[in-house]
Amino acid sequence: MMTGGGLSAAGHVDIRHGHATWAPGAANPAGLAMFKTCQMQIGSMTKAQQRPLVQEFRLLATPVVVFLLVFLGFPAIVNLIYSVSEVSFETLRQPELSGFKNFAAVWSDGAFWQASWFSFRFGLLTAVLECALGLFLAIFLSPLIERRSWLMAILMLPLMVAPALVGLMYRLVLHEFVGPVPYYLWTYFGASLSFLGPGSAFWTLVVVETLQWTPFALLLFYMAYQAIPSEIAEASAMDGARSHHRLWYIELPLMLPTIVVALLIRFIDGFRVFDNVYVLTGSGPGGSTASLSIYIYEAFFKQGAIGKAVAASVILFVVSFAVLYGLNFIASRRKGANR
Amino acid sequence: MAPISLKKAGKQYGNLEIIRELDLDIADGEFVVIVGPSGCGKSTLLRMIAGLEETTSGQILIDGRDVTAASPVERKLAMVFQSYALYPHMTVRRNMGFGLTLAKLPAERIREKVEAAAETLKLTHLLERYPKELSGGQRQRVAIGRAIVREPVGFLFDEPLSNLDAALRVDMRLEIARLHRTLGATMIYVTHDQVEAMTLADRIVVMKEGRIMQQGTPQALYETPANLFVAQFIGSPKMNLLPCLPGAGGLDLSGEGSIQLPLSGRAAPAHLGARPEHLSLVSPDSGHCRGTIEVSEYLGGTTSVFVRAGKLGLINVSAPADTPYRLGETVGIHIDVARSSLFDDAGKAIAASR
Amino acid sequence: MTTLRWLVFGIAAFAMNFPILVTLSTSFKSARELSTNPGLWVQAPTLDNYLAVFQVTDRLNIFLYLFNSLSVALIGTVLAVALALPAAYAIARGRLGERTLLPFIVNLRAVPLIIFAIPLYMMFQWLALLDTRLGLGLILSIVNLPLALVILVNAIRDLPGELDEAALMDGASRTQILFRVIAPVCRPAIVTSLIFGFITAWNEFLFGLMLTTSKAVPITVGASFFFAASGGGVQWGVASAVMVVGALPPVLLGLIMYRQISGSMTAGAVKG
Repeated sequence: MMTGGGLSAAGHVDIRHGHATWAPGAANPAGLAMFKTCQMQIGSMTKAQQRPLVQEFRLLATPVVVFLLVFLGFPAIVNLIYSVSEVSFETLRQPELSGFKNFAAVWSDGAFWQASWFSFRFGLLTAVLECALGLFLAIFLSPLIERRSWLMAILMLPLMVAPALVGLMYRLVLHEFVGPVPYYLWTYFGASLSFLGPGSAFWTLVVVETLQWTPFALLLFYMAYQAIPSEIAEASAMDGARSHHRLWYIELPLMLPTIVVALLIRFIDGFRVFDNVYVLTGSGPGGSTASLSIYIYEAFFKQGAIGKAVAASVILFVVSFAVLYGLNFIASRRKGANR
Repeated sequence: MAPISLKKAGKQYGNLEIIRELDLDIADGEFVVIVGPSGCGKSTLLRMIAGLEETTSGQILIDGRDVTAASPVERKLAMVFQSYALYPHMTVRRNMGFGLTLAKLPAERIREKVEAAAETLKLTHLLERYPKELSGGQRQRVAIGRAIVREPVGFLFDEPLSNLDAALRVDMRLEIARLHRTLGATMIYVTHDQVEAMTLADRIVVMKEGRIMQQGTPQALYETPANLFVAQFIGSPKMNLLPCLPGAGGLDLSGEGSIQLPLSGRAAPAHLGARPEHLSLVSPDSGHCRGTIEVSEYLGGTTSVFVRAGKLGLINVSAPADTPYRLGETVGIHIDVARSSLFDDAGKAIAASR
Repeated sequence: MTTLRWLVFGIAAFAMNFPILVTLSTSFKSARELSTNPGLWVQAPTLDNYLAVFQVTDRLNIFLYLFNSLSVALIGTVLAVALALPAAYAIARGRLGERTLLPFIVNLRAVPLIIFAIPLYMMFQWLALLDTRLGLGLILSIVNLPLALVILVNAIRDLPGELDEAALMDGASRTQILFRVIAPVCRPAIVTSLIFGFITAWNEFLFGLMLTTSKAVPITVGASFFFAASGGGVQWGVASAVMVVGALPPVLLGLIMYRQISGSMTAGAVKG
């Protein structure tokens, strides 16, 4: 199954309609056979009748392919060339091949590893926190939300606001003179924290990200929870299951695919975080809150180290696609095994 | 209107043979019903004729023209789908006129044709409605109307009645029969329901596993099935099959009785096929065999009596409804031999010398 | 129990919306009140900050930022759907690229887009697309593409194939089927991808930051200018008003259409 958006799509369509809509592997044997013939026809195209049909489909898919080749294919090639070249803003058009020096520079750059560690830790922590909180809220609040869907609208509000703006808002919220949080802390506890100082900045960012994106997990889990057929709950009640039994033995297992998907999506988004972190802390203090995205951005725009930025991009590119396709592969294998 | 012929037409998905090279000639104006159990390839065959599925071998001819490689619209056929497949965003009028619009007919002509078709199908008052505002039967009529409007050379029906409830199905069946009479068009109709096949068809084609098992008039199929499959598929309730062997002077009914019948040296019969309505209950001493009544189902007009007859198994006899039948009673069964069929070991019918 | 649920809801809603509430309240505070009252409650509400925001200066022009955001969001959304719809049809019905194109585009949703940003920056420099609304719009359509494709492929797959076949029998070409049958029937899905794409594009920050400098700056980037603007420190009231104005279009759109959006969240699961 697909990763990221696709994974979620698969997981959810599965739950709602009870059938997989993604992989051809999930189709019935006849469908599979049909798929094979289509492949065959595309490959050989011997029959006059099928030619216009397939060609027309190809024509319809062409614009997006061309668009991607131009706006992603070309940049990808530039990336690859520049990553093995000596290049600066002055010599942008005449890169000189320099072997793997850029990669070596990235590899030996402590800041690169620090940023990788930040991204990984940030992604993991926020994903787990968001999903745990979202799961609790989805189940605990569902009796309220079922009857008043506008409650969900209120909870979803943070998702509509640009993360960059939310980051800026927290500059205000946490400001030592005009921010309400330090103000209330002083008023009621007589002390406040340096939220964006060394030591605490990471945790502040985790809280900021978690508060904005918990609604996302909440929404996913709420939909999955609602999709559990009420007959199942009723049947288990007839079997004498108490509500906490039902939660543990029936509802949570049924929601497990959604939970996995939500964790994955939130990890990915946390890993590649840029907007809110960048506007809130930049990369500071002392580079301690630079995510990989920020590392690459700063290498390019602030240090002008094009080679290093590009080499880091290529590393990230290769690793991301390897991981994503690996996940696709595992998911489709599991899909096959379940059939 | 046009004749439609299939010449060794076949379809394969890779190594899988969906339709084995089959020949079928459909005359101009004929109503042919293709019937068979699900998965027998009847819908695929219809879609091959429509041009929606590729024909991988052989030829399809419409009006003598080879259309094997032609697109659906070039074949000038119309199709009525199981799900009706009405365009949900168009009114009935636009649904029916869509094909003509695509063919760039003048708006005035389209209006005339649509309204004429709507008139035939009593749809005039529904022309401005959307499909979701119609009942199942009305949608079905719109789907048929959409087919009529284009004045096709032939109509294809893919299980058109299977989404309707039982009462409506009978009405629509009559309507389709009427339509065939008035239009005189070539029609090919696919169904799994043998009652629809019997009532509608000029000719029935029975299919199994991508092959034609038998074709002929409903009466021919009913009276002289070519094989066990057709014998069991056509007719309701199902034909009884009595295992038998050639015996002295005729047939030995597995030791449960015998039938005097000259067997003229052809293949040895293995089954006697007798329809419930060709069996009658007689006193235990007369009749061809005997057994005890196990179940009786009162059906109003008749009663289905199930008789346990030793090695012959459970035999369904269609008996008059006005006599009481006691369970456990021993009865004799008389077989109307002249209207029975004999089948050999391989299930093929043996032409009886009666 | 119900009381407890309401309490939990109240706390969660308050905490998650806290920065929005603070910004909203600050935007109605005068500069004087701000220095004495950092709390949530506004003592003397004023619209001065909003008036100040809409004062165009050489350095700060909120109308330009809003117009830029609107333009790039529209380009990025309409283009993405226009590209995705035919492709979705080819994938769903022609079964073309089901194992290549579809997973690749879907994976784009999960890739850190920064990896393409640097060569795109150079490319845009050569093509003179840097700091143009068209340039930023083009890139935002890539950002929107995965979700639009997923939503549309799912929508088309949910339609019965007999609909296409009926149109084929009626003499329609695949292109005609797409535009005259599939597209109208899929209108809800198309609208959803448009709304979602608009919100995503409006809220995008990274490419706006990298690919624009003055003429095409979107509001997400422009808003941060207000934080560094005046010499005498940040004017918090004005900055808050800017953020309220900048957040309003997607929030309103989201609230009006939140049913559709919650549906596509689960369909495509993309950052808003």
